[in-house]
Amino acid sequence: MIDFLQNWIYLIGSMALVGIGLYIVLTNTHIFRIIVGLNIIDSGTNLFIVTIAWHPKSVMPIYTATNNLVVNGHVISADPLPQSLVLTAIVIGLGTTALALAIAVKIYQKYGTLDVRKIKEEDR
Amino acid sequence: MKTYNLAALLVGVPLIMAFSIPLFGFISKQLAKWITVLTLGFEFFFGLYIFLWHIYPFNVIMGNWIPPFGENLYIGPFATVLIILISFVGLMISIYSLWSANYGDISHFTLLFLMFVGGSIGLVSTGDIFNIFIFMEITSISSFALAAYGPERRALGGAFKYLVISSIGSTFYLFGVILIYTQLGTLNIAEIAARISQTTSGLLTFAGILLVAGLAVEAELFPFNGWVPDTYTGAINPVSATLSGIGSVGGVYVLIRIIMTVFGKDGTFVSTYGNLDLMTLIAILGTATVVIGELAALVQKNIKKMLAYSSMAQMGLVAVAFSIGSKLGAYAGVFQLVNHSIAKAMLFLIVGVAISFGIGEKIEDVKGLWYKSPFLTVTFTIGALSLLGLPLFGGFWSKFALVDASIQRGGWYDFVIAIVLFASVVEAFYYLKIVGYMFASKPTSTAKIKTPISPAVPIVVLSILIIAIGVFPQIVGGISWNAAYELTNKMGGYVLNVIPTIIGH
Repeated sequence: MIDFLQNWIYLIGSMALVGIGLYIVLTNTHIFRIIVGLNIIDSGTNLFIVTIAWHPKSVMPIYTATNNLVVNGHVISADPLPQSLVLTAIVIGLGTTALALAIAVKIYQKYGTLDVRKIKEEDR
Repeated sequence: MKTYNLAALLVGVPLIMAFSIPLFGFISKQLAKWITVLTLGFEFFFGLYIFLWHIYPFNVIMGNWIPPFGENLYIGPFATVLIILISFVGLMISIYSLWSANYGDISHFTLLFLMFVGGSIGLVSTGDIFNIFIFMEITSISSFALAAYGPERRALGGAFKYLVISSIGSTFYLFGVILIYTQLGTLNIAEIAARISQTTSGLLTFAGILLVAGLAVEAELFPFNGWVPDTYTGAINPVSATLSGIGSVGGVYVLIRIIMTVFGKDGTFVSTYGNLDLMTLIAILGTATVVIGELAALVQKNIKKMLAYSSMAQMGLVAVAFSIGSKLGAYAGVFQLVNHSIAKAMLFLIVGVAISFGIGEKIEDVKGLWYKSPFLTVTFTIGALSLLGLPLFGGFWSKFALVDASIQRGGWYDFVIAIVLFASVVEAFYYLKIVGYMFASKPTSTAKIKTPISPAVPIVVLSILIIAIGVFPQIVGGISWNAAYELTNKMGGYVLNVIPTIIGH
């Protein structure tokens, strides 16, 4: 059980986060909650990317005298590339969130509400 | 492998100029507008230089790390034609905005616009599947802000809708990229394309569906294009022209690059690896987009919304053309992309001029435009006839090649082309309805509209170009054939030009 959890908990968790985020975006009509849902999807994706580069027995990907990256012909270090990709993805997610919040503030100033249905009614 | 590192300026210059525009804005607001024109003019002439002196295909290599290890830009025939197209349409829109963009702080608009065009040029030239994600986010984040820019409050709703759909789409794209990375351990498009058959078939299919779902948002294909009408209608006219003339080009480019180069399996007709043939999937999505877009455009009362739905339908036509998979089909797709981009950008600019002179957005409002402004009426007619595909206009040659290619393919593509041609008849109906309104009833007040010089220049240039392509299709035709070769022969056309030593599997 412990082994199973160690190996799969992050993968299952990341998929669950993406599912929860999609559910929030699809079912809520409040703009702020939709933005929170987008953020949860982002977190799920980032966790997934870090997870696929890592396993419980991996070592850090820096070569030192005591830290062997290759044992018996197998690479046992974590893969550093996806982690650097995640940095980029996090920054992009931050930018999107900031812009979404700025648009939400503008919407509240012009419509006086953040409910998607009311905004649609006012546009008619 | 040919290298020409100077071409990194194609991506670098617009981004540097974009972020230094606030500095120019301190000196003078007009200077910021002219900087945009100069930068895009530089891009356009650099693109023409690459095209006319036959420097393509070549690589730009970052920091002496040769392609499978470092990041590279690959500029082949397809990228060359799209760089010229994007920078040309961008140049025209920036000349138009010298006159039209006068809402709020103008340096904000020009900054976002240059970032958008620079991001699009990066998108079509990069050779790294993760860099595509980065450039896609540069273009889409700046286009959210552009779509929200303007005096009308309905622009905000459209921009927010676009933001939500597009961020979810790019997350799906990232998922697909990472699934491929877990299988092959590389992010270089050429290496992935050569080794794609080594992957697990089921996982590859899943990754392919995620990639198509993510990219179809930008390419305006059917189930993912709910944002198009609201965003195009709410945005100011230069932005609508930008989104339909430049944004959708980038989206379609990435979709086709992923499907045909990365997933493609060479043959008489390109198909894809995995359990599901993605070319068939694209054909189905494209046909659905054409039918739904044209039928939705038919019932619209608002002229901008009608153009938005028509833009969607034309993108579906492009997708159908590429999905045929033969060289002639890819040729039709590239040609149709060029024609649509030029004509639809011009129509949005014309509608923008008309609206700013007090003509409403309703279809009935353009009645008798001929008596007020013959110039706008004639150019609108040229654009509409090109989109319909009448002979002597650019659109004829691409639709002709599309029909020819699908008849050569045969099978169920006969059925596809029947639906597409039916939809084109619907398109003819609503465009000719507008043109008919323009020429028909004489209005009560015939106050003349005198189009200022700055918006008139791009409209004239674009309409002359449409007729020029219609009379001499070889202007675009030659390089479109090279682009079609690049797309349908992935080893000879793409992979070996980037990594000469790799062995295909």
